[in-house]
Amino acid sequence: MTGIDATSVMYIIEIIIGGLLVAIGVHFVPVGGAPAAMAQATGVGTGTVQLAAGSGLTGLLAAGLMMKMTDDLLLIVASGAVGAMIMIDATMVVGNWVYIYGVGAPPASAKVNYDPITKLPQPPYMAPGTVGQGIPTVCYVSGTIGGLLGGAGGSLIYFALLSINGNPGLSGIFAIGIFLVNAVLASWNIQGTIEGFHDTKFKRWPRVLQAALLASAIIGVMAVMITGGA
Amino acid sequence: MSVAAGGGAPSKVEPMKLRIYGVVGGLVGIYLASLLGPMTGNWASFIAALGVIPAVVLGANSVRRVCSYGIGTGVPSIGMLALGMGIVAAMFGLAIGGVIGPILGTAIAMGFGYLIGLITNKAIKFNIPVMEEGTMDLGGAGAITLLGLSVAVSGSADYAAIQMSVIATGYIAVVFIAGSLAILHPFNANLGPDETQDRTLTHAISTAALAIVAAGICGIGTIGLPSVLTVIVGFLVWIVYFKKFFQLVKRDAAGVVGTGLLPPSAQ
Amino acid sequence: MDAFSMGLLAAMGALATVAGASEDIESDVGSQSNPNSQVQLAAQVGFPHRIYNKAISGEPPSNALWCAVAAGTAMVLIEKFAMPALLSIALGAAVAALFNGVFSTTAYMGRNASQARFNQYVFLDVLRTHTTTIMAHAWITAFCITCISYIMAYVLPMTHPFPMPLIAMIWGLAVGAIGSSTGDVHYGAEREFQNTPFGAGLNTMDSGHIVREAEAGVRSSIDNAWFCAKFGGPATGMAFGLTVFLDNWRATIFDPATQGVLVVATGVVIVIILNIYNKMLENYARKKYGPYPEYKGDIEA
Repeated sequence: MTGIDATSVMYIIEIIIGGLLVAIGVHFVPVGGAPAAMAQATGVGTGTVQLAAGSGLTGLLAAGLMMKMTDDLLLIVASGAVGAMIMIDATMVVGNWVYIYGVGAPPASAKVNYDPITKLPQPPYMAPGTVGQGIPTVCYVSGTIGGLLGGAGGSLIYFALLSINGNPGLSGIFAIGIFLVNAVLASWNIQGTIEGFHDTKFKRWPRVLQAALLASAIIGVMAVMITGGA
Repeated sequence: MSVAAGGGAPSKVEPMKLRIYGVVGGLVGIYLASLLGPMTGNWASFIAALGVIPAVVLGANSVRRVCSYGIGTGVPSIGMLALGMGIVAAMFGLAIGGVIGPILGTAIAMGFGYLIGLITNKAIKFNIPVMEEGTMDLGGAGAITLLGLSVAVSGSADYAAIQMSVIATGYIAVVFIAGSLAILHPFNANLGPDETQDRTLTHAISTAALAIVAAGICGIGTIGLPSVLTVIVGFLVWIVYFKKFFQLVKRDAAGVVGTGLLPPSAQ
Repeated sequence: MDAFSMGLLAAMGALATVAGASEDIESDVGSQSNPNSQVQLAAQVGFPHRIYNKAISGEPPSNALWCAVAAGTAMVLIEKFAMPALLSIALGAAVAALFNGVFSTTAYMGRNASQARFNQYVFLDVLRTHTTTIMAHAWITAFCITCISYIMAYVLPMTHPFPMPLIAMIWGLAVGAIGSSTGDVHYGAEREFQNTPFGAGLNTMDSGHIVREAEAGVRSSIDNAWFCAKFGGPATGMAFGLTVFLDNWRATIFDPATQGVLVVATGVVIVIILNIYNKMLENYARKKYGPYPEYKGDIEA
């Protein structure tokens, strides 16, 4: 057991920031849940936690590799963020392939009349009886930001943990645990589906801050007191 | 979530009773295994794994209680939350608690779970009456499942031993995910308007047995031959409870038939 | 960068592509993940069916389990019994497939039994014929991902610090997330609803009206694998292959120890290219298909 001193307080703060980044990042990920899998709603056809965890943990793998080579915080976090962005971007591009070539429907958002980024009109391209389909540009960019925040948050948590205990296996599984707790809290806040930062549900994000702050702080305090050496 | 949304699922077994069985059973298993371990040359490690069964039943029951209100994100998220909370708390307990480590870890996980339930109701405004209790049980169940399976892999509840043989080798990943599926699969697999508690909990015992088999296989890599016993015990428990589960499926289903064309519509 | 690591990287990309494809087909045969909601709904709205209903706790956690179990078993065989890696991984994947079989069977029985009031039967012949197909695909997924994890943890010149089962678990989560986001849409939006016109998602009014009959006889879930293997499966494979390949490629062409900034910059360039490509894809689809004729609003297309 290690005591609490100035360095460990810094690590706790890093874990908290990481947790908050994950919780906010989840709000950016455009997920349509089950309806999106039937091209019935805009967004990726899966659950919030699932996609966020898939991308964030891919980022964790990249960050883990990077941290073996260097101890530059910025580089490690950037590497994790980029890893997560690549995963979520590849997924969304191929998702759009399936919507466009497999289902024959153009991507369209149901929450806005004009795409805030491309200014393209959306409602005419929304299939009757649905609330949009596919991943239009605004959702895509939002998802990329979500991957960025999630990957960066996960890597930051991993960085703090590995600096404390020096054990990649322990830090890795702890980072997964902390990531999942924050992602689940965020997904409960979203209540199912969200299109991205242009969605009205996105305004709920301050609510998850208190929850994620408290949860990450408690886990952080516990985690910094665990030593990695046998 | 079509099961009585907003009302909670009907249950015959009291949550309190399951909680006592789950926590006490799990801890007794862990302590018995680590006490008998040195005397028997790790041949007792399967007891820790057996202790996981009541804990998984507790976890599955609280998944059932919380999810029958409809949490909007599907069942898997809550199981991942349970193990996410459980892993840090369990390892923290072991690392600083010494002999009382498993008790401490479980207690912290339950306290943390209660707090998570409280903030989801207060900050995220879930307003599910059983949320605090549910996440408390889930935290405890997650921690005990992780601890019990880890002890089954390493043969001892000593932090250094678990660190070396479970975490550094990566078997923790198997324990983590097998434990979380054992807790969340039973309710998820039996979801529907005609779900019954005894069928779900019987299923929980069989998924717990599968987690034991998985931990036993990993244990062969660390404690060797004694872990084969864990695999065999897990397999036997699985056979018995899978058969029971199948009986209950036959009892509850509209029909269990060898083959046939499309069944007639009920409407 | 050397030829050896580049070759390994290519192998990883290829393995990932196969893993993605088999993962998607596995979930299509079983109707796992989100399209499952329509299978679940069908009996409720008066269409009892003979489609496999494999609701295993979401695709990412379940695939993480198969991959972690396969990697854990393989590691026991490699480290404790000094068995050859390829054989160990094959045996590990076999154990994972057995787990998959048990979880699939119980999910099918449990879900259908819980729909007794809608007259949804438990068909034992569906279990017998489909479970093996599902297990076979799960074996391929677990085998490929454990191979990738083995390469990352032991073979690459720059080995990954995480232990092998942990890497396998993370890739399992990722492949499940990708499978449920991409290939499953082909099954959910197209195959389940081939009775509605091509070119649109499911109209809410048609919810639950899944296709239950085949060209001849009753549709079985194995027919769904045949259909989804033509597009949804390979597309999923592409997505996962791209993820594994691009993510590791940038750490292979540049040395992370000295050229860390370049590794990150390459990644950023890839992300920007993907964003631009998606915009082009969107433009193409809007131009090719045009607005829906049923649209009555006053926003100009």
